[in-house]
This record gives sequence, structure tokens and C-alpha cells, in this order.
Amino acid sequence: MRGRANAGLVAGGALVGLVVLTAVASFFWTPHDPTLVDAARKLREPGGGYLLGADKFGRDTFSQLMVGARTTLYVGVVAVGIAAALGVPLGVIAGMTPRGWLSELIMRVNDLVFAFPALLLAVMLGAVYGAGTLTAMIAIGVATVPAFARVARAATLQVMVTDYVLAARAAGRRRPAIAVRHVLPNIGSMLIVQASVSFAIAILAEAALSFLGFGTRPPTPSWGRMLQESQELLFSTPRLALWPGLAIALAVLGFNLLGDGLRDHLDPKLRRVEER
Amino acid sequence: MTFYLLKRLAVLLAGIAVAAVVVFAFMSLLPGDPAEIALGVNATPEAVAALREQFGTDRPPVVQFLDWSGGLLQGDFGTSYVTSSPIGPQIGDRLGVTAVLVLGGMAVALVLAVPLGTFAAVHHRDPLGAVISAASQVGIAVPAFLAGILLVYVFAVQAQALPSGGYVPFAEDPGEWLRGLLLPWASLGLVQGAVLTRYVRSAVLDVMREDYLRTARAKGRGSTGALWRHGLRNASVPVVTVLGLQLATLLIGAVVVERVFVIPGLGDLLLNGVAGRDLLLVQGVVMVLVAAVLLINFVVDVAYHLLDPRLLR
Amino acid sequence: MSTLKVEGLSVRAGALELVREVSFAIAPGERVGLIGESGSGKSLTALSLMGLLPEDVTASGTARLGGRDLVGVPESRVKDLRGREVSMVFQEPMTALNPLMRVGAQVAEVMTLHGTPRHDARERAVALLDRVRLPEPAQVARAYPHQLSGGQRQRVMLAIALANGPGLLICDEPTTALDVTVQKQMLELIDEVAPALLFITHDLAVVASVCERVLVMYGGRVVESGPIREVFTRPRHRYTEGLLAASRLTPRGTRLPTIQGSVPPAGRFPGGCVFRNRCPHATPTCEAAPALTGEGHAFACWHPAG
Repeated sequence: MRGRANAGLVAGGALVGLVVLTAVASFFWTPHDPTLVDAARKLREPGGGYLLGADKFGRDTFSQLMVGARTTLYVGVVAVGIAAALGVPLGVIAGMTPRGWLSELIMRVNDLVFAFPALLLAVMLGAVYGAGTLTAMIAIGVATVPAFARVARAATLQVMVTDYVLAARAAGRRRPAIAVRHVLPNIGSMLIVQASVSFAIAILAEAALSFLGFGTRPPTPSWGRMLQESQELLFSTPRLALWPGLAIALAVLGFNLLGDGLRDHLDPKLRRVEER
Repeated sequence: MTFYLLKRLAVLLAGIAVAAVVVFAFMSLLPGDPAEIALGVNATPEAVAALREQFGTDRPPVVQFLDWSGGLLQGDFGTSYVTSSPIGPQIGDRLGVTAVLVLGGMAVALVLAVPLGTFAAVHHRDPLGAVISAASQVGIAVPAFLAGILLVYVFAVQAQALPSGGYVPFAEDPGEWLRGLLLPWASLGLVQGAVLTRYVRSAVLDVMREDYLRTARAKGRGSTGALWRHGLRNASVPVVTVLGLQLATLLIGAVVVERVFVIPGLGDLLLNGVAGRDLLLVQGVVMVLVAAVLLINFVVDVAYHLLDPRLLR
Repeated sequence: MSTLKVEGLSVRAGALELVREVSFAIAPGERVGLIGESGSGKSLTALSLMGLLPEDVTASGTARLGGRDLVGVPESRVKDLRGREVSMVFQEPMTALNPLMRVGAQVAEVMTLHGTPRHDARERAVALLDRVRLPEPAQVARAYPHQLSGGQRQRVMLAIALANGPGLLICDEPTTALDVTVQKQMLELIDEVAPALLFITHDLAVVASVCERVLVMYGGRVVESGPIREVFTRPRHRYTEGLLAASRLTPRGTRLPTIQGSVPPAGRFPGGCVFRNRCPHATPTCEAAPALTGEGHAFACWHPAG
């Protein structure tokens, strides 16, 4: 069983690595300018320097995919960063003072935010401030805060009853010191797993938002918008939907596999039923 | 149980009330005055002031909120600043369409996930069980709208067996209504089914290791009979929790899938509202969706307590 | 005429032999103890009689209960005997009952499974709960397991085991998880209601209080067997001797004698006499496996005590 779990980790790592490498490479080189509109290349078939062909505006699909990877990672990193930066401290505080009013308040607010999915937040933000990459990132980030807060709280609750924390408290260490010295290092592995899983969800959310026109705005390439633009051409040029669709699915699969694999690798106690 | 129910109901109502405040406050932040937007840039200040008074947006926000939320209690969502038509009936019509979409998607997910997940758990050492696990992992990575596009390509473009989009009301033609919903249901259901399959599998695997299943076999049941009689209800307890979360996810997924299939549901209404800067409409639809998510959570919590007698006090 | 006759029972998991050539018999009404440390194979012996071995673990040899085979027959035949001819009470009462099902229904189930009409089964379930001395049995029948204490749940398990009047009751450490005060009542109850009994434990005092005869297992084999008084007062196998010495109450200040070393993991027992790597009396002779010999009081040791 151990071998299978590691296989997932390797496959996930490879897929994520591929997305990251593509995104990094797109800064230095793309076969063509991904945003260059050229009527002469309209719906050009694959081949002859256009590996995957061109779309209805004559933009090179492969170049768009490469830069789209950058957009996806950018949104994911910022959104997960926002979620972790807000969610982890809240979760740790709630976990360290499980019976306090503060903990109660945090978890109640958490429940409320949970009722506002990323898409609704993005639509509301978009309606007020105008749609764009930033509103999408904030919406996805805020909507992901509860997930981080819950995991951080649950993990903190476990750490707080361990002997070494009890010893530290008996020795009179103050709470912030315990949080930094004992709690954070010990819940780190769970947070990394959560980050990986949240990243996958953020990619899905970004794709959906861009598909609806609430995410990345043109001309910046985005996998979700590529899909949306391809939909009307599904009858004539289905390949335009195939490539961004595949890119989204593989990136999400990669982060999911990575998360599962890390869960097994970092902490055998957390090994999920599937891999037992 | 009664006490729990009342307490949980209070939490639900409080949640909806707070959500109403949040939604209203959020939408009131909008830079821009509905009256100015409605009249355009060339309007005279007098005309704008008159329209403002007509809309009621000249009153203090607190009064506006009380007016709006008071209306909600009676099912009155106000009148659109843009189209001048009442919002409540529109939401009512669309809600039915979205509900059918979501429940159908959930049904597809359940019909797929319960047998597949159980099978994968029982045969977790066989290749076929591993194949189901792997397939579900891939299924999770496909967003519903992408599944929708793929399904349209296969069933509408290639096979030309089903419509690629559009919606025919049930009252008009039940057959076409069904044909039009099959692909949307499948796109929502396949993806959620993949997620659910994993949860069902791990819940059944957990249950299979329970001592009471051995007790059931010691009574004279075969392993299948023991799982059937004693395992599945126990496995359903964690699955129901996930189901609630999924229903909420499906509701939001439906917003996107409606766009793919051009279905006039709440999502379509919401996006049109945003496009037309119809703030009161957006506010109303968001409120309905949030309230629906909270209501689903409430129902799940109650179902959870009904399923598990250990939680009853 | 014996109720249960086991001959040459072996249990293996792949290439590992976990129980080897175990033979014994239990007469009607007889109480037989099966003792040994964890890892000695005593629980596997019991589970193989119930046909409840884990996946990948298989039993061979014969075990006949009232003329019917328990080992080496298809699951479909064995499952008809489980709960009717042979029943088992497990170690952990807290998890052995279905948490979502009322206690009465769980007792009735074992009867309806073997042909009792539903209505009769419900009534008899209450009578059985009364028989295992649960106060207010009608009320207990309507309760869920979490509303009962560990001792009460173990009584429910006993009621389930007795429901169809089996010829043999197997108890696997039934009192280990219970409070000391509850243990004694439970043991008395088992002794009172059991038809024939195979009682598995690592607690010598418990065996002595319930059983007439004892089998001592080590390394997957029966190393000594006989009437309890004889085995406990005059142990012959060096392992039994060590076990008894370790459990004896010692005067304050004297060192508690223990068996040196620890039980090896499954498959790591030495060839020949399985105990020879821990035995202070081992000689090269012990490299050959000793046979279990003796009428009544039998032992498998080249250098027996006494």
C-alpha cells in the first residue's frame, strides 16, 4: 500500500511540477505572442509552428495555455495565501482557547462565511468593484478561510493535549510562545496538505469564474475563459475546448494527488482509509 | 430532540438574518446611484432626486434595510430599478428550475456513488476496486462546466442525440423538458458522483472494520448480509454530512452549468442581473442562494441527528 | 461423546504458520480454558472455529461440533452454524454492538436469522436479557448500546450468544475490558449459563475460577493441557512453569520472577521446541520438536519440571 501512496505523490508532484515549469517558462519564452490577434491565422489547424493551432482570433493556443498556467498559479497562490494568512491564526486561537467567547465567535463567523461560496462572493465583488483577477483572488481566498480555520483548529486541539504542551504550560510559558514553539510546527504538515487541496479547489473556482466572465479579464490568457470562448465553436473546432479542459483537469488532479500523497508521507497517523 | 431542533432552528434563523445584513451592507457599498444609472448621464438633478425618492434610496441605509428585509419576510424582494418589474416572482420562477437541476444532479450522483463506492470498498484489494478509486480521482478534477462541454460534444455534436442547450418548461412538453435536462443533470451528477464515490468508499471501508460487523457474522450472517444489514446505515452517517456540503456545491455549480446549457435558472438570473447592473435583483438572488445553503446545512444537521441515536439527548 | 473435537488445526497467513497442529476436545458441559500470552495463537484458534478468520488467513485440519464440520467447509454452510450451534463473546463490549440499532432488535436478530418468527424473537429477546440478569430487561431492549455500560453491553453479547441454545460458547477475554467488580459477576454468569465453554484469557486467576481443564498455548502450539488443579499445582512444561511463577503473588520485597526475553513476533519462533530460545533448561535436544504426550495431563517438553 505504501508504494501506491508514493506513486500518487510522485504523479501529483510531477503534474504540479509541469504546471509550475510551464508557468515559469512562459515568462521567458512562448512560441508566439499569446495575445496577438491575427485574422490571417483565424482557426488555423495545428502544425507548422502552431503546435495546437490557433483560436477564432488567430491567437496561438499553445502560447495561451502556457501563459494560462501562470494565471492559474498566480490566482491559486494569492487565494490560498489569503486563506492561510487569515484562517490559520484564527484557527490556532480558536483551538488554544476552546471554551472562550473568542473561539465561539470565530467559529460562528466561520460558519457564516462558509455559506458564501467563492462564486457568490466573486459575483458580489464583481458587481460592486468590477470583475477581475483581483476580485476573483479575494473572493476565492476569503471563501477558503473557513477550511483553513477548521483544519488549524482541529489540529491545534490535538496538539494542546499532548504532554509536551502540557509540560510547557505547567512551566508557565505564555500562550503566544506555545503557539509559535509547539503548535505551529506540529500542525504544519496538516496545513501543507490543506494548502494543496485548497489549491486544487482554487484552480477550479478560477476556471469557473473566468468561464462566467468574473475572473481574469481579456486579453490576459486564462484556461477558464479559453473554454468559454471555445464553447460556441464546439461544433466546428472542438480542439479549442479540449486543451484548456485538459489543462484544468490535469492541474487539479496534480494538486489533489499531491495533497493526498503528502498526507500519507508527512504523517502516517493521518493516513486516510483509502490508502490503508 | 425537540430542544435540539429548536436550538438548531434558532441558529438557522440567526444565520439567515446575519447573512441578510451582510448581503445588504455589501451591495450598498456600490459606488453609483441606481437613480443616476437608470436615468443616464444627461438627467437633471431634479429628475434624479425624484427617482431616488421613488426608489426609496434617499432614505437612511438602516431604513432601507428594514424595508427590504421586512419585504423578504413576506416574499417581496422589491421592484427592479432597471426593469421596473417585481423581483420576487422572477426569483420564484427561476428557483424551481434550479431546484430541479440541483436535485436531479444529486440523484445522478447518488445513483452512481452509492453502488460504486460500496463496490470499491468491498473489493478494495481487487483491480476493479482500484480502477474505481482512480476513476473517481480523475472525476474530481473535472469541473462541472467542463463535464458539460464534453457531454455536449459527445451527445449533441457527435451523436446528435440530445439538445446542446435550451430549456423547455415541463408544462409545455414533458419529453423535451426531460431531454433538455439529461445533459445538465449528468454534468452536475458525474462530477459530484466522483467526489461522493470516494466518501462512500472510505465510509464503507471504515464500517467494514467495525467490531459489530464481526458480531453480525458471529450471529450467522454472511459478510455481504452483515454489511447490508449493519454496515450501510452506519456508513450513511458520515456520507450524509458530505451530501449536505455537496448539495451546496451543486447549487453553486448549477449557476455555471445553467450558463453552459442556457437554462433560465437562478444562476442565469444572477449573471444577467450583474450584467445589467440590476443591484436589487443581484441582492435578492444572492440572498436566496445563501439562505438555501444555510437551509441545506440545517437539514443535514437534523438528518445526522435522526440517523445517529448517540447524538440524541 | 464430546461436543467439540478439534484435530490437527493449523492456521496460516500466506507462508506464516500462526497456529500449528492444535488438537483438543470439549465434553458437554465442560469448561475449558485456553491460556497464553498475546501472539500465542489462542484468539486465532477460536476465530477459526467460528469461521471468522480475517481475509488472507486460512485454517486447515478438522473441527467437528456435534457431527458437523467447522473447518474446511464453505462459508455458506458454516454461517448457518454460527450463532446457533456455536456462539462467541468478544473482548471489547463497547464496539461489538451496532450503535444505531436498539439492543432488543440486535438480540432478536440472531433468532430470526435462524428461523424464529419475528414476533417470538422479540419476546424471547426480553426473556434472554432477563436471563443474563439485566435489570428491567424490557427497558434495556428499547435502549441503544451507548445508553448501557460496558458490563451491561457484555451481558447483551452473552444474551445474543445464548439465544439459540448453542452447544458451545466461546468467550475471548470477555472480562478483560471490564471493571474488576463487574468482572466477577460476569464470570459467575458465564459459568452458570454456558453449555460447554471454551474460555480464552491470559489471566490465570480467571481461568482457575471458571474452568476445569486448561490448554496452555505458546508460539501457536498447545504446549501443555490437563485438569486445572494439576496443571497449576504441578506444571510440567517449562513455559507453564514460568507463566505460573510470574503470576504468583510474591511476598513484599522479593523479586517477581519473569520469563526471560519476550514473545517473538509471528513466524519468528524457533524450530523444534518453540520455547527453547527463552527456556533456561534448553539443551540441543530441544532442537527437535517435542510431541504433546500424556493421558489427562499432557505436555510437550523434553525437560519437564517436577
